[in-house]
Amino acid sequence: MAKEIDYSKLRILPDYDTREWWEGARQHKYLVRQCKQCGHRWFPPTFPACSKCTSMDLGWFETAGKGVIHSYVEVVQPVVGAFVGTVPYIVAIIELDDCKEADGTVTRVAGVLTNEESEAAIGLPCEVLFEPTADPKIVMPRWRICGSVAGAWNFDRHEAAGR
Amino acid sequence: MGALTDKYCIVGVGETPHMRPSNRTTLSMACEAVSKALLDAGLKPSEVDGMTSYQVGDSTTAAHVATSLGIRLNYSLDIFGGGSSTEALVAHAIGLIEAGYAETIVCFRSMNGRSGRRMGGQIPGGPIPVANADGDNQFNMGWGWTTPAQRFGMSAMRYLHDTGCTTKAFAEIAVAHRYHASLNPKARHRTPITIEDHQRSRWVVKPFRLLDCCQETDVSAAIVVTSRERAYDLRHPPVFIMGGYARTMTENPQWNYSRPVLHYVAGNYGWKRAFGMAGISHSDVDFVSCYDAFTFTTLIQLEANGFCGPGEAGDFVKGGRLQIDHELPSNLSGGHLSEGYTHGVQMVIENVRQLRHRADDACPGWAVGKHTYDRAAGCRQVKDARICCGMAWGYENMASCLILRGIAA
Repeated sequence: MAKEIDYSKLRILPDYDTREWWEGARQHKYLVRQCKQCGHRWFPPTFPACSKCTSMDLGWFETAGKGVIHSYVEVVQPVVGAFVGTVPYIVAIIELDDCKEADGTVTRVAGVLTNEESEAAIGLPCEVLFEPTADPKIVMPRWRICGSVAGAWNFDRHEAAGR
Repeated sequence: MGALTDKYCIVGVGETPHMRPSNRTTLSMACEAVSKALLDAGLKPSEVDGMTSYQVGDSTTAAHVATSLGIRLNYSLDIFGGGSSTEALVAHAIGLIEAGYAETIVCFRSMNGRSGRRMGGQIPGGPIPVANADGDNQFNMGWGWTTPAQRFGMSAMRYLHDTGCTTKAFAEIAVAHRYHASLNPKARHRTPITIEDHQRSRWVVKPFRLLDCCQETDVSAAIVVTSRERAYDLRHPPVFIMGGYARTMTENPQWNYSRPVLHYVAGNYGWKRAFGMAGISHSDVDFVSCYDAFTFTTLIQLEANGFCGPGEAGDFVKGGRLQIDHELPSNLSGGHLSEGYTHGVQMVIENVRQLRHRADDACPGWAVGKHTYDRAAGCRQVKDARICCGMAWGYENMASCLILRGIAA
């Protein structure tokens, strides 16, 4: 696996609102919260009420784990020990393909790409994969680029060509 | 005009030096800053009856400072908050004084922002050996995405994508604020830089280089707010509070990456109210302060507060527009980028000094308002400075503003 993360230096502590999400990840499911009353979806699951209708009657939607890179950063200077050997790495905001609502609301998630930093670009499709950690209860989602599109926007190329 | 426009004033300002490290407690630093602000105002400790502060679990309290300085308070409060809190505490002070809860209020921030708790989970001496990711951190620390630079980098990157401008626009801000720091004896970094220096500095997190990031420091700073009636009896010409907005938020404030436009930041929701309250338009503003935790935060707030149109900030800042003697001087003390990081208080303090025409620069007569306006000789006083718009940033999701007026011009 490219760009390894030392998960032994990271302790994930699920809580009452998130433990089902982490159990989903353990089963290689990428879940988002879904309101049982109005159908609104969101991420992360730390928020325990529907921001559209205030219902707290909530379930989960299992996404296909596919989306498009909406923005990204390239971390060069690590702050969390687990990532000291990973730098430089790309954290991307990914807009999920199957969470677009009728009023235009979208659900975006974020995660670390497995790809080399030069490959990252806004507009590229990517898909989730799951990595085991030292803790058998915790499986971490990662993302990888799974296609190409015309006009994908890469920061280094933009800067080199820029005005 | 707002019902309370010009009825309340900032009458005293004071701060410790910007230190790395301070080798002091936050209480010790706060006592120094508050004492200096009272001295500056010409107030005795017994003439203060309200004290407020903001912090993120990293500082002392108003009660400790009041105890140390022998001040008996009618009102005290310590709120949780970072950037954009100073201006909010000023708004809060106006309400308290107007309602009769207190008469004269000191607001302070004290932080060992470099040697103690750093923002974004950084610790002194290097990366966190083993990180506990609970609460919100479950969904950011797990993907190595914690610091303000890493977080704001996302909206900055999308801004570059959406507008076509490049990081040379960021450089303009770093250069302007450093130039002002070169005229400020208190600033940590005073050597002028060029666009090329910025472009050559090392990457921290793309799209941000080292010279896009503020100078984390250990510092305390304080300001004193009171009514116009009291202000006239004090040491300096009053600086009047014309209007503002306080910790205004976007929709979906906590996890702002699901907002439709990442760089549509909170200022967009506030400036029309603030300018209406102040009864001014942008062309009345002689200079600004614009929270520069990063160069980008200044850039996007100029746009969010209507100084230019959506997507235009990259062009707006070109050609040194934000430098003193140009169209819209910004962060005259050097700001967080070059003077030092105070979670915003220092910008309000500099604005007050500028509006009094008493910028503490190299001019021999600065303390009595005599300036040469000779930049080569180290004068940083804005000529004829009368109205200032201060714009503050919490995250993309939260912003404050404070429009001030001086009478010394």
